[in-house]
Amino acid sequence: MSLTIQYLEPIEVAIAQIETWWRSGWGQDFADRHLSSRSFALLLLQKDPNLWEQLPGDRQQDLEQLIATTQAQLNRPISLEIAQARQGFAQAIEQNTLAEPNPSQRRWGERIHKLTVNPISGFPILVLVLYWGVYKFVGEFGAGELVDRIETFFEGQINPVVNHVTEQVIPWPALQDLFAHDYGIITLGIRYATAIVLPVVATYFLMFSLLEDSGYLPRLSLMLDRLFKAIGLSGRAVIPIVLGLGCDTMATIVTRTLETKRERLIATFLLSLAIPCAAQWGVILGLLAQRPAALVTWAGLIVGIFLLAGFLIDKFLPGSAAQFYIELPPLRLPKIRNVITKTWVRMKWYFWEVLPLFIWASAIIWVGRLTGIFDWLISGIEPIALGLGLPKETAPILLYGFFRRDYGAAGLFDLQQGGQLTGDQLLISAVVLTLFLPCIAQLQMIIKERGVKTALLMVSFIFPFALAVGYVLNWGLNLFHIAL
Amino acid sequence: MDCHQCHQNNGSCGSKRSLRWLPFGENFNRLPIEPSGPQIALVGMPNVGKSVLFHALTGTYVTVSNYPGTTVEVTRGAMTLDDRAVSVIDTPGMYSLLPISEEERVARDLLMSEPFGAIVHVLDAKNLGRMLALTVQLLEAELPVIVAVNMMDEAQRWGLTIDREALIEKLGVPVVLMAAARNWGVDQLRETLADRLASTPAPVLAAVG
Amino acid sequence: MNALSTIRSSDPHWIAHLETQDDAMLRKLTALGILPGNQIAIEQRFPSYIVSIGRTRAALDRETVQCIFVTREQHPTTA
Repeated sequence: MSLTIQYLEPIEVAIAQIETWWRSGWGQDFADRHLSSRSFALLLLQKDPNLWEQLPGDRQQDLEQLIATTQAQLNRPISLEIAQARQGFAQAIEQNTLAEPNPSQRRWGERIHKLTVNPISGFPILVLVLYWGVYKFVGEFGAGELVDRIETFFEGQINPVVNHVTEQVIPWPALQDLFAHDYGIITLGIRYATAIVLPVVATYFLMFSLLEDSGYLPRLSLMLDRLFKAIGLSGRAVIPIVLGLGCDTMATIVTRTLETKRERLIATFLLSLAIPCAAQWGVILGLLAQRPAALVTWAGLIVGIFLLAGFLIDKFLPGSAAQFYIELPPLRLPKIRNVITKTWVRMKWYFWEVLPLFIWASAIIWVGRLTGIFDWLISGIEPIALGLGLPKETAPILLYGFFRRDYGAAGLFDLQQGGQLTGDQLLISAVVLTLFLPCIAQLQMIIKERGVKTALLMVSFIFPFALAVGYVLNWGLNLFHIAL
Repeated sequence: MDCHQCHQNNGSCGSKRSLRWLPFGENFNRLPIEPSGPQIALVGMPNVGKSVLFHALTGTYVTVSNYPGTTVEVTRGAMTLDDRAVSVIDTPGMYSLLPISEEERVARDLLMSEPFGAIVHVLDAKNLGRMLALTVQLLEAELPVIVAVNMMDEAQRWGLTIDREALIEKLGVPVVLMAAARNWGVDQLRETLADRLASTPAPVLAAVG
Repeated sequence: MNALSTIRSSDPHWIAHLETQDDAMLRKLTALGILPGNQIAIEQRFPSYIVSIGRTRAALDRETVQCIFVTREQHPTTA
């Protein structure tokens, strides 16, 4: 290799020593790696944990000693000296190869950048982007309009055919229910994945890819970093949290992009507690639209609980606060082709990721109904519903709401249409449903991403907490004779 | 997919993927890739247009799977070079060869454990100096590096020029100037890759482990 | 030598020293080009700090900015 960087003398001495060791036998343990002896030496001098743990104890001791001797001859940490030598070398190459003959015609991008990050204009822009991008496009268009159309198509064209064929092919009604009818794998599971989740996800990913390719996303993060710090997260968490307003299951996957375990845990928890998905808040908005006081109370309560829960968990969860540093690429006009490719690939990936979860949900509902476990559960939930001041018809809604987040809300809608719920009851059930267990797909994703123990812990907090909030709310409304 | 890596994926998916009660997992979406064909990898820091380049090379027919034992996703696709199927791996963004995050660890593990006929280091032309520090590390490890200086369109708009010949001379490896988002230089990269793969013997598959 | 967080002007300053024991942070800063010998300028302080290092622009939180120490002049002993 023609290219060799010279590091400081003590470091070069140490490299030579490790390379001697490499030739005398250390290298054999790493023969399956594509790694040069010099690279090996440099990584070990910086105590690369993966290579380190593969070394036998005596070699680790030899190295410790070598590193200590080397460090003693330097003013700054070895890794910083190495980084600086490389950076210096790289900068020198840049000076010889990159020229700036006619600097800077980046005026328009600069101006928009200033507008997006200046607090006076930046926050209104942020609100507008979220309002049009998330609320209008994903919420109203994706989760409302598109879902309605595809659902209608499924219910009118596909489900009857599936039901009919299933009834012809399978003689046993109990088994028919597994595939068809109200909760079948095809009529519920696949329909749910394609008719409800797919439009939400498609519109969301399209908007997300646009924001990403335009370079706005890191600016959104920096604007909200301070707020998110207060709830134990960093500006980076904006992405999964906003995503949660589309679909919490997807957002739970995306918490992977957060840097620390602690941050991933907090984000996952807040998503399952206080972020309603598009399918859910869409219906709740419709439900409470005629009662502005109830709507404001619902929104206020959920936002308050979101902030308070984040604040408390940040206070009591051990571990250090999230750090925030992010590169700001220049703003650019997204290339439509690239945006569409990205959206398409993500949708495909997501679809295969969640489809099995919905199929499972259908299968579980089938077993639950067949064995009578659901009836038993509903009769157990009825007194709880009564305790919250709700009619006992809301019991099945709470149970099924767990399997389909929006089903719960849709069930409430039916009750409201029948005039069976007062304003207070609507508010209480909307609050409880929002806080209630995450839907079953999200729960499966929490188990997958965070482990069974964490998932159980979260559920065992969220479940009683949601009911307690509903109970206190009912009590408070009664105490002050408030009728919304 | 049928290469050895994916058997690994199926068999020992590690602790976080141990929920085998899911009937279908990440391998649902299969992709026929010649098992013994050469492999190339795209590496680079985040935000250098790596995934756009990846799609420009492979199209949208790709698989996303979790690297064994992690939640980090690795995207694989295929391209044809000189009538040969070549599998392309898009590695997670990395800042240096010494990993901090799980993603960087995965990127490095891939580079060091899988046999690559070529490794394309994608960098942002506007920040050439800052990003060459990683090129330097890849060269120190004696990996078969090709440097793809991306986002040349933006560099041009900023009034920057890059001397390709000088860069080749300094680094001692092939250099392609490109703007993947505009499809500039993608063909040239293909040619460079084809030359590289033709001039090196087909890599021997390393033992699984 | 002053912490970058205390610098009021938006003129470029020379990075003299990074005051952190956190290896991960050190390497992220290095990757952004924030390391001794380079120049850094503060563009904005609220809601987050925005800095520029050559042609790179980055957003940092207060804790991170506090560990970057700068001088007005290039100092041969610290570089």
